Amino acid sequence: MATWFRKPSVLPGFGLTLGFTTFFLSTLVLLPLAALVFKASSLSWHDLVGILLDERALASYRLSFGAAFIAALVNSVFGFIVAWSLVRYEFPGRKLVDAVIDLPFALPTAVSGIALAAVFSPTGWLGQKLALAGVQVAYTWYGVVVALILIGLPFVVRSVQPALVEVQRDLEDAAETLGASAWQIFRRIVLPAVMPALVTGFTLAFARGIGEYGSVVFISGNLPYQTEITPLLIVIKLEQYEYDAAAALGFFMLVMSFVMLFAINLVQAWGRRRQAAAGR
Amino acid sequence: MSITLDQVTKRYQAAPVVNDVSLSIQAGEFLVLLGPSGSGKSTLLRAIAGLTEIDHGRVSLHGRDVTGVPAREREVGFVFQHYALFKHMTVAHNIEFALQVRGVKAAERRARREELLGLVALDGMDDRLPSELSGGQQQRVAVARALAHRPKVLLMDEPFGALDAKIREELRRTIRKIQRELGIATILVTHDQEEAFALADRIGVMHQGRLLECAAPDELYTRPTTRFVATFLGAANLLLGYRMPEGVRFTPPTRRQTPPREVVAVLRPEEVELAASAPDVKSNFVGYGTIEELLFGGSIERLRVRMPTDGPVPVAPGAGDADGAVLEVSRTLPEQRAFPADVGQRVALGARRIHVLPTPISSFTVVAVDESRAAALRATPLLATLAGRMQTRVSTRLERRVASRHERGDPSPPGMPVVETGPGSADNVSWMLHHGAEQILCLPPGAVVPSRVVIHTLDAAANDGTFAVAASLLRHVPAESLYLAIHPFETPEDERGAKLRELLDARSNALGRHGLDLRTEARFGEAKSELSRELLAHDHPMLVLGVGDLERLDDRWLADLLEGPVQRPVLIVRHSADAHGGG
Repeated sequence: MATWFRKPSVLPGFGLTLGFTTFFLSTLVLLPLAALVFKASSLSWHDLVGILLDERALASYRLSFGAAFIAALVNSVFGFIVAWSLVRYEFPGRKLVDAVIDLPFALPTAVSGIALAAVFSPTGWLGQKLALAGVQVAYTWYGVVVALILIGLPFVVRSVQPALVEVQRDLEDAAETLGASAWQIFRRIVLPAVMPALVTGFTLAFARGIGEYGSVVFISGNLPYQTEITPLLIVIKLEQYEYDAAAALGFFMLVMSFVMLFAINLVQAWGRRRQAAAGR
Repeated sequence: MSITLDQVTKRYQAAPVVNDVSLSIQAGEFLVLLGPSGSGKSTLLRAIAGLTEIDHGRVSLHGRDVTGVPAREREVGFVFQHYALFKHMTVAHNIEFALQVRGVKAAERRARREELLGLVALDGMDDRLPSELSGGQQQRVAVARALAHRPKVLLMDEPFGALDAKIREELRRTIRKIQRELGIATILVTHDQEEAFALADRIGVMHQGRLLECAAPDELYTRPTTRFVATFLGAANLLLGYRMPEGVRFTPPTRRQTPPREVVAVLRPEEVELAASAPDVKSNFVGYGTIEELLFGGSIERLRVRMPTDGPVPVAPGAGDADGAVLEVSRTLPEQRAFPADVGQRVALGARRIHVLPTPISSFTVVAVDESRAAALRATPLLATLAGRMQTRVSTRLERRVASRHERGDPSPPGMPVVETGPGSADNVSWMLHHGAEQILCLPPGAVVPSRVVIHTLDAAANDGTFAVAASLLRHVPAESLYLAIHPFETPEDERGAKLRELLDARSNALGRHGLDLRTEARFGEAKSELSRELLAHDHPMLVLGVGDLERLDDRWLADLLEGPVQRPVLIVRHSADAHGGG
């Protein structure tokens, strides 16, 4: 075996660690996925296209990817603000707030979904008030976005927090003595420093949003063509014993998610390179 | 003036961390603020830059009052200890940052950047990221960045703190050169005295939030005016000396003879001469001592010489002092060759040069009837703190009946007499004042360190001496001070202006002569009631009362002050025209 890519490190044996890596990835990630692909491939090309481009399927993609994207965007903004206030300010109950952030991680997603539905349904607590304003959240695609925001928030906060800690007060002081306004300090100093972390948080929240099922199904109303997410469609296909169709949809989601996550990674890498090359 | 500070005060949780600092820095001047950590020097620097808001006072840059102006509009360059470079930007972008936020055109920015990189000797490093540079190079970039917008003043907060010795020295030279070239007023904060000596046109020494002294390095080293500066800058033996007609002597005077004035003398280790016997000493003979310790340190040899018990008295009593004072001595190689010495050897010591501190407080002498009263007085937080911070000794004099007119002791023992307030004390204090005592510290039992010192003089003749003592006191107590001038309520309107001017004169005199920055207030009314109202207005006050003509000191009032229901620490200063000037 060639030794040119071996570098000494604290963990014993490159061969051993790489072996574990491939083994784990294979048995736990790639093998099930391969089974999925295998199942879907049993379909004829014509049937596959028919299932994937079905009106109902197309509507579900729009909702799943669209809502996940919007929710991840919203979380990027508010998650940043939450992280900022947790890192920069000392206030009574800060530790408590910090712990509350992780709750969506721990809670069974179905519980979150039922709770949201109860609060936002037209007879619920917030739903009543929103209904007066003519806004209905539960059983519309807004509801899906709300559920995904709840589920995705900790991803952004937990990614951004350590990056913000790294931004020293000195840097902001320095920028201020150099004549930068508060907005310039934020845009030119703070944001670039936490941008990679923020993109990571966004990606995690987005990926989680695409796959989310439990919390969404209770609040979305599940109307075909309107508030039906792709994972739900897959479950419906399974319940109708259309295993091939379910596998095909699953396969499609897999490809789309992979392409998007890969694209985000590329964009991030490109951003880093551009930053490093800036001024040349 | 490039930078003018006027009574700048910054408090954290009510305790002043920067306390009444006033200072002027001329165009092109390089001032180094030197002090131990926690002395308030960095806070002061940040206050000048506008990064820290101040609670009291004014900051002016180039004649413009910038007290309330945010940092970004102050046009200062600031260099941080840990560089504070923007890590995601190249060197070029870092340096151009100040120009970019001002909307300067690219070509102009580029020209300025190249000029600055040349100045800090980093030509061609434009495209590096800070992480690709060494610590010294990073700090050079930080200096270039701080100068990009052509600031009017340059402020540096321990800029060499994170660098190793060799690079530090090199960067020091670069900075001195750049500062000279640009002629930019600069303040550098450090705790390293070597650095201060290498860079400064003037050194300001800070301690406990106060700017103690500010002068040229050699001036500060050879003629310090405070104990703290004398011992903080270089090594120093602080000894109690006695001013005799023929000069300063170190042997304590025998009792019952008219006591000579006690002074604090600074004897630098390098000013001590060693010889085999008294006739061989070329300078002023101090006494014989035994070499206890000898360290060879390359160019300099360091010795500790134990003096006999009846020899010189150190100002600050140290461990094992009962065996006599220990003097620190340092000798150059030629001196070592001329007179080789060894541990255990008995040698004669001479003092080539003695500097007498102009401090009016040399030491304290507790005057009490018995040892338990004396111990109680010595243990009061105020006296213990003062003695500790001044690094001075507290001696005790027991007199059989302090509070009686009969069998009086010595009205003015060497050092400042300390007496207990309470029944009979006013009578005793009055007697001491009438018999030559110049300062008396009157302490109620358990007196605590004051947080506010009110200064008042009964007649203007006493101002100077009172300020001198107050300045000495306030250097060691982190209290805020107020000089209260009280004029009769009947003072006509047209004379009130003149009174206020007198007050301002008094203030500038206190600052100029004693380095004491006073807050001043004029009141019109009855002196005693105004004063007691002022003392009641705050927790833990202390009164410094100046008296010129003793006729003005009303015995009844003194009794009120010292024996009344509410007793506070009172420092009475008697200053007459023939007494020595303060400092």
